[in-house]
Amino acid sequence: MKRSLRNWSVVGLAGATLALSGCAGSAVSAAGGDAEATTEDVAEIHIGALHPLTGSNAADGQQMAAAAQMAVDAVNEAGGIESLGGAELVLDSADTQGEAETGQSEATRLIEEGAVALLGTFQSGTSANVASVAERNQVPFVMDVSALDEILEQGYTYSFRLQPSASQMGTQGAESLLSLVEDSGAEVDQVAYLYEQGNYGAAAYETFLAEAEEAGLTVDPVIQYDPAAVNDMTTQITQVAASDADALVVTGYYRDSLLVAQAVDIVEPDLQAVYGVANGAYDQPDFVNDAPNGGDGYFDANYHWDVTNADSQALAEAFEAEHGEPIRSSAVLSYDAVMVIAEALERAGSTDTTAVRDAVTETGYAPLMVADGPVTFDETGQNTNAAVVVMQIQDGDIVQVFPQEFAETDYVFPAPPTE
Amino acid sequence: MATSLQNAPETTGSAARRPTLSERQKVAIVTVSVLAVVTAVAALRAGSSTVLVQALVTGVLTGGIYSLVAMGLTLIYGVLHIINFANGALVALAMYLTFVTVDTMGVHPYTALLVVVPAMGVLGALLQTSLLNPVMRAPIQIQLLVTIGLALAIENVLLLVFGPTPRSVQLPGNVGVSILGATVELSRIYAFVGALVLVAILSLVLQRTAIGTSIRAVAANPEGARLVGINTKSIYSVTFALGAMAAGAAGVLVAPFTTIEPTSGAIFNLTAFVVVVLGGMGNIPGALVGGLVVGLTEQLAGLILPDESPLLAVFVVFLIVLFIRPKGVFGRAS
Repeated sequence: MKRSLRNWSVVGLAGATLALSGCAGSAVSAAGGDAEATTEDVAEIHIGALHPLTGSNAADGQQMAAAAQMAVDAVNEAGGIESLGGAELVLDSADTQGEAETGQSEATRLIEEGAVALLGTFQSGTSANVASVAERNQVPFVMDVSALDEILEQGYTYSFRLQPSASQMGTQGAESLLSLVEDSGAEVDQVAYLYEQGNYGAAAYETFLAEAEEAGLTVDPVIQYDPAAVNDMTTQITQVAASDADALVVTGYYRDSLLVAQAVDIVEPDLQAVYGVANGAYDQPDFVNDAPNGGDGYFDANYHWDVTNADSQALAEAFEAEHGEPIRSSAVLSYDAVMVIAEALERAGSTDTTAVRDAVTETGYAPLMVADGPVTFDETGQNTNAAVVVMQIQDGDIVQVFPQEFAETDYVFPAPPTE
Repeated sequence: MATSLQNAPETTGSAARRPTLSERQKVAIVTVSVLAVVTAVAALRAGSSTVLVQALVTGVLTGGIYSLVAMGLTLIYGVLHIINFANGALVALAMYLTFVTVDTMGVHPYTALLVVVPAMGVLGALLQTSLLNPVMRAPIQIQLLVTIGLALAIENVLLLVFGPTPRSVQLPGNVGVSILGATVELSRIYAFVGALVLVAILSLVLQRTAIGTSIRAVAANPEGARLVGINTKSIYSVTFALGAMAAGAAGVLVAPFTTIEPTSGAIFNLTAFVVVVLGGMGNIPGALVGGLVVGLTEQLAGLILPDESPLLAVFVVFLIVLFIRPKGVFGRAS
């Protein structure tokens, strides 16, 4: 009895200590930033990167951390931050483990250890938590990948997003499909929509629907699924086959979107195209290996690194040489995020985190991603020039096909998914 | 608790046998009639007989896959009373072993059974002997923590060795075939048949072999088993080895239609626990029935409530079953 009492008091103490250190973490660091700002000649500037290096999104997370490191190396090789006496950038990379709580505590730790800016995190839930930490500590946070609109609807002044938001992707995805159909002269009056039921799928679907209805395109049937649990899509695709849909639109992650392709292959619905909107599979090299018929003809309207840009090509080649696999667009966004921060540091000429934030808001960095222009943040922190491009799998290659200005080759439409 | 192993009715004598059977018949009648009503509602909502038949066939087949994955879990619980949180990780490990076997030796994926199942058996015996036997008398949360730690270790070693890029195993001649108008991938039919064979093999081993008798004895009464000269520690190791072999067979059979990642097995964890509890913990045919119930519920709920997660319906069914029969559909209410 005595012993168990003592055990409990130890647990209680440990808990209290943890709680205290948690409180300290959220308040102290802003002062740290100020202290550094007084010494303008700094030797090193720390940037914190938060990505899922383990867990189910590790494939993206590890690439993103690697690309961020390549960006830091590039800046340092070019002489560091010249306005700060050639100070070198140091990337502190942390593992969110794909969990919002871990991301939040790691963000606090990185700020405490002196990071003047953060980037990340691939997952919207994690980014939402990190954004609140960044705001509280007045440290700029540049999101590379995180689609959820709501993150930037909290009135935050220290958070920015490079990629198009989920609603931008839904809207632009619908616009692109409508123009593709019109351009090709094909007959598409009705599309089926299949999406993962989380925030990201729902936001893409709702904005797609609004745009499609305005143009008189019928969206039916609409089917949602649970991406964490689904093991088979045959029933869903049979529902699509039983409808009058001319094309199938899919918003989902890698595993579930691959299940869709497998089900389409065996059910053989009469479709003119399978069209991903912000899809996690249909523009991935792995999908070409894993999908039936190599996924030939599949479209995806998504953010993508600009294949037509020479700098982007150089990065892609360097990345593949160093890491042995083709670069993902998520990793190029991380590269861009570091560059936005570095360029802001250069103009700010200071490591004061608020000065860096002010400089980030005025960035005019020309991204390596497909975009409508240089990075431009609106008052919420959203990059208004973020754009989607339509890609298609043609003979085992993922190529940019639409709009014309970013097209590598001509699109093929109709592109029935089964011969 | 020990009587929840599926041999219980036979060992409790003929007097107890008849009421148990009629109890089972009652359960079967209720299950079938509930299923019929739900199917009728789903038919109205689906508006197309093809879609309904597809949902039923897919439900049965995915149900088979769920029970396949849950088999090792229920066996280990029935004998060792350990809730093996590492079951999903063991399935993922088996998928990677399948991938390596197919990739390096160029053999047919199912030939990998000959390599993967024995390898998983050896690994299972080693794990039980080295990690779990020393804590068998410790409180239940200690064993839980060991298996959770084991799951984390296995998943992260897989990540370290194979990297995060998803892998796949192609099954030659894996085409879609038509069953009653529904389309089904052949690999999923094979996995379903595999689940049936696994139930039969495990039941035979437990009922008809000397080692099976020892396992049942240890499950029923470890002290008594020790008194009659059974080495309980080695029986524990044999049981965990059997559980790991079941997880291994499951991994090989689901590999052809699964994206192979370190977390691929963990996706099934939640469903597998529901399947095990529904069927009665430690009850092997129960796991098969539990799997079918979950698979059909998911599919039919997807038709009836298209705006909700199918898991919602699964857990509603789960709660109702637990409320009426706290020991699972086929667990003996004591």
